[in-house]
Amino acid sequence: MTSPSLAISARNLTLTLGSTASPVVILRGIDLDIARGEVVALLGPSGSGKSSLMAVLSGLERASGGSLQVAGADFAALTEDGLAAARRGRIGIVLQAFHLLPTMTAAENVATPMELAGMPDASPRAITELEAVGLGHRTGHYPTQLSGGEQQRVAIARATAPRPDLIFADEPTGNLDAATGEEIINLLFARRAETGATLLIITHDASLAARCERVLTMADGVIVSDQRPALAASA
Amino acid sequence: MSLPLATAWRIARRDLNARFRGLRLLLVCIFLGTAALAAIGTLTAAIEGELASSGQELLGGDLQVEVWQRDLLPAERKALGEYGTISSGFRMQAMASTPNAAAPIGLKAVDAKWPMFGTLVLDDGRKVGAPTGTDAWIANTALERLGITVGETFKVGTVTLRAAGIIKDEPDRLSEGFQLGPTIIVAADIPEQAGLLQPGALYQSKHRIAFSNPSRSLDGIGESLTKRFPTAGFNIRTRDRASPGADRFVRQMSDFLTLVGLAALVIAGIGIAGGVSSYLDQRRSSIATLKVLGATSGDIVRIYAMQIGVAALAGSLAGLAAGVLVTPLLASALQGLLPVDSGFIISFPALALAASYGLLVAFAFAAAPLLRARTFPAMALMRSGIVPLARDWRALGVTALGIAGICALALLTTAQPMLSGGFLLGAGGALLLLAGLGWTIQTLARRLPRPANPLLRSALSNIHRPGAPTGALVTALGFGLAAFVLLAAVQSAIDGNIQRRVPQEAPDYFVLDVPQAKEQRFIELIQAEFPKAAIRTVPTMRGAVLAYGPKDRMTRVADLKELPEGAWALRGERGLTYADTLPPGNRVVAGAWWGPFYTGEPKVSVDADFARAVGLKPGDYITIGILGVERTARVANLREIDWESMGFNFALVFSRNAISDAPHNLSATIDLPDGADTAAKGRLLRALVKEMPSSSVIEVGGILVDARNLLQQVSLATLAAAAVTVLAGLAVLMGAIAAARAARTYDTVMLQVLGASRRQILLLQLAEYGLIAGVLALVALGLGSGLAWVVITQLFEFDWLPDWGEVLGVLGLGIALVLGFALAGSLPLLRAKPARALREL
Repeated sequence: MTSPSLAISARNLTLTLGSTASPVVILRGIDLDIARGEVVALLGPSGSGKSSLMAVLSGLERASGGSLQVAGADFAALTEDGLAAARRGRIGIVLQAFHLLPTMTAAENVATPMELAGMPDASPRAITELEAVGLGHRTGHYPTQLSGGEQQRVAIARATAPRPDLIFADEPTGNLDAATGEEIINLLFARRAETGATLLIITHDASLAARCERVLTMADGVIVSDQRPALAASA
Repeated sequence: MSLPLATAWRIARRDLNARFRGLRLLLVCIFLGTAALAAIGTLTAAIEGELASSGQELLGGDLQVEVWQRDLLPAERKALGEYGTISSGFRMQAMASTPNAAAPIGLKAVDAKWPMFGTLVLDDGRKVGAPTGTDAWIANTALERLGITVGETFKVGTVTLRAAGIIKDEPDRLSEGFQLGPTIIVAADIPEQAGLLQPGALYQSKHRIAFSNPSRSLDGIGESLTKRFPTAGFNIRTRDRASPGADRFVRQMSDFLTLVGLAALVIAGIGIAGGVSSYLDQRRSSIATLKVLGATSGDIVRIYAMQIGVAALAGSLAGLAAGVLVTPLLASALQGLLPVDSGFIISFPALALAASYGLLVAFAFAAAPLLRARTFPAMALMRSGIVPLARDWRALGVTALGIAGICALALLTTAQPMLSGGFLLGAGGALLLLAGLGWTIQTLARRLPRPANPLLRSALSNIHRPGAPTGALVTALGFGLAAFVLLAAVQSAIDGNIQRRVPQEAPDYFVLDVPQAKEQRFIELIQAEFPKAAIRTVPTMRGAVLAYGPKDRMTRVADLKELPEGAWALRGERGLTYADTLPPGNRVVAGAWWGPFYTGEPKVSVDADFARAVGLKPGDYITIGILGVERTARVANLREIDWESMGFNFALVFSRNAISDAPHNLSATIDLPDGADTAAKGRLLRALVKEMPSSSVIEVGGILVDARNLLQQVSLATLAAAAVTVLAGLAVLMGAIAAARAARTYDTVMLQVLGASRRQILLLQLAEYGLIAGVLALVALGLGSGLAWVVITQLFEFDWLPDWGEVLGVLGLGIALVLGFALAGSLPLLRAKPARALREL
């Protein structure tokens, strides 16, 4: 049983992919606690296991071993479908390549997770959410009719609309220019502040990491450093 | 945990393109399959319904008894009278003439009770019965040949008749069978007055009976009459088999159409599997995104099953509508051959069956890709590249269940379970064969040494790399190209049969009922106009085989429950002759011919094919009935007959002493010199009519045109029906190539980025598709021609005469189409700048 103040609690978390004959070890015994409402940056070189750790913590991938409690649910005990159900309304995910549903309008994209979570008034709420990210005039547009920055705004609205406990963002500015990236990060932080959700953000950007309460650094499948910049600055 | 249906539907509807983009192959395949089945089912149901409900009208009674060269005996008439009211008449070939013209006609003499069912409609709208006195109802073509109008007179035999009206609609036309001249309907006593019922004359008396008890069962009537009058030579028909020719043709067409429908279904199924697979592949990212947002695998199945269901339903409904719309076209193509209305026909059972097939096929073939799509991981969004999916045995189970459902439906609803079962088994075997071939091609490509040329290397690896669509491509191309071969082989074989069965070399005239005493005069009349004409005369009479076999244990035909296969000569009365010498074009294959002045035991020479069918050999005996008298002859020899030489050919040829004492006339063939003068032909016909009024002349040219038209009508109908299969094959072909091409897009762009020229990329694709299409051409040739062989030889009972040049040409066209389509689709990509193409990937 994890403490109610913890959003995530992982012990000896491992992930091994590939075939039995040639296994590839991705995560090698991760121990990690993240408090509710905490804003955490996850850094590390390519191939260090950042995205895989995020995938496991967000329930997109089942861990090969260890225990994992996320928002009070025992992720290690859940099936793929159980994990999908556990994500509904409680976990929002923003990806580098936006991954909007190309056949749906911006508003429909935002409404979908709320509908999956069985929330009422998904459509009007989606419009409100889009207005909140500055896209009130683009609600009926399809992803291909939006710029990269606008698509990522829709993705942020979609992730935050159900008021999730946790938001995961995997290099959300990786596909954007610096100015647009800055706007997007500001928006993401603002939305997080409004919802009070826990935020885990993967990035290569040290300045972005510096804005987070806590910075985790990974290398070769393990967390090699766990720092709190604000504390360090005040020390 | 699972999504409410309303929410699933909302998401499905949103994700579904209004114009079914991505699902069009599925839509087209279901549309074609359902349309084919709806049209086939509607047409067959309409024809069968018409044959069943109009049986009395088509036959002109509940029961019909035909007998050659005589009227009924009093005892026979009394026996038939026990069933109900009898309407009697005669049918014969005759000549109609005016002082200036003569024309061969089919004379139909009917009594005052005719027609007992239906109505005769004249061109001026009058609805009439049998003509009275010397009035005649006459077909328009006869009127034109004679150069007269309604109200004017003409002669038949020795009687002068008045053209009292033009026949528009004859109720029992279809049961009269193939006729060698336009119809003239007269009163029943006219043939007698005209001198056309002389002993030995070739005519039929027809007797229709309207049952006094309409609900009387038809079972066993034929057998009981044959048993009661074994030597009568009755040819009996009942209203449920009003037109055996049409029945047989309906059965053949219905079997053929069943095969076409099943073939369209199988091909549609392959298209559906391919279409759904490629649709869901395109949706991988969306599926993964939905999973990221919290959709479970069950939700994914529900959402995409709804989309596929909507497309299947739309395709089925459009197919049903098209099926109903196209039926009148098929019906009008078959007009005259079959009793079917050319208006719109709606048969709800047929439409329900077609829709069930369409949806069941969609379910069976979409289930596997749909269930596989459940396992698309959400992680696919974060890990690029192809994520190989685990084999889903449950999907196999669901597909097997669907296919079992289709087979059960096919077998339960077909009139030919053996044929349909055989076809489905064959199609299953072909699918396995193609799956095996796909696997072999991939394995071979994997094991081949890797070429040094990077483009060749890429072409080879495209065939075997993980996720390569080779298997689907091989199946689709195999069936698609096989459909091309099937159509070409069936069409060219029918054309070949038209060429062979309707000979180019044939006599100019057949003449029936030349009195023996006037043989010399007959020859003189012809030679007066055409001194170089070749004339052959043969004695002709009608008789039925009553018994056959070894002398001490002969088989009575009346005791046979079913005639042996190929024993057509046992059916009713047949033409018989006698001869002193072996007829020209015949060859003795067993036994020996009798001499010219033979006087010993009566002998008979038997067609070798017929002898084989009934197990006759030289030394056995045959008993025949001629005009009610039994005669027995010993089988002296077996002959091979060239039936295609269009002259007089007889299955049974007797020695002169066996039957020459029976009353009979001569039949003759006349070969005129090339370019014979038309005016002289007219003079000859008029002279023959004048001097031999009871004889009738048949112009072969007209029959050949009729026969060719008839076969070409069959050919057109088969072409129209089989075109559906080819269209389905074409759609599947295009769909498979389009899906495979989508998988190639990335490679094409990357090769361009790396410096490959457009020409090199086109050559690469040409090499890849050329290799697959080349291998499949051989398989398609085997598959398509195998099915065509079944259709031609087993269904239509034609000779297997495909034009291989044409078949190979059409197959080549199919391959060219495959390559053309594959390359044409790549051109826009090749024309685009690599940078832009990269952005769009």
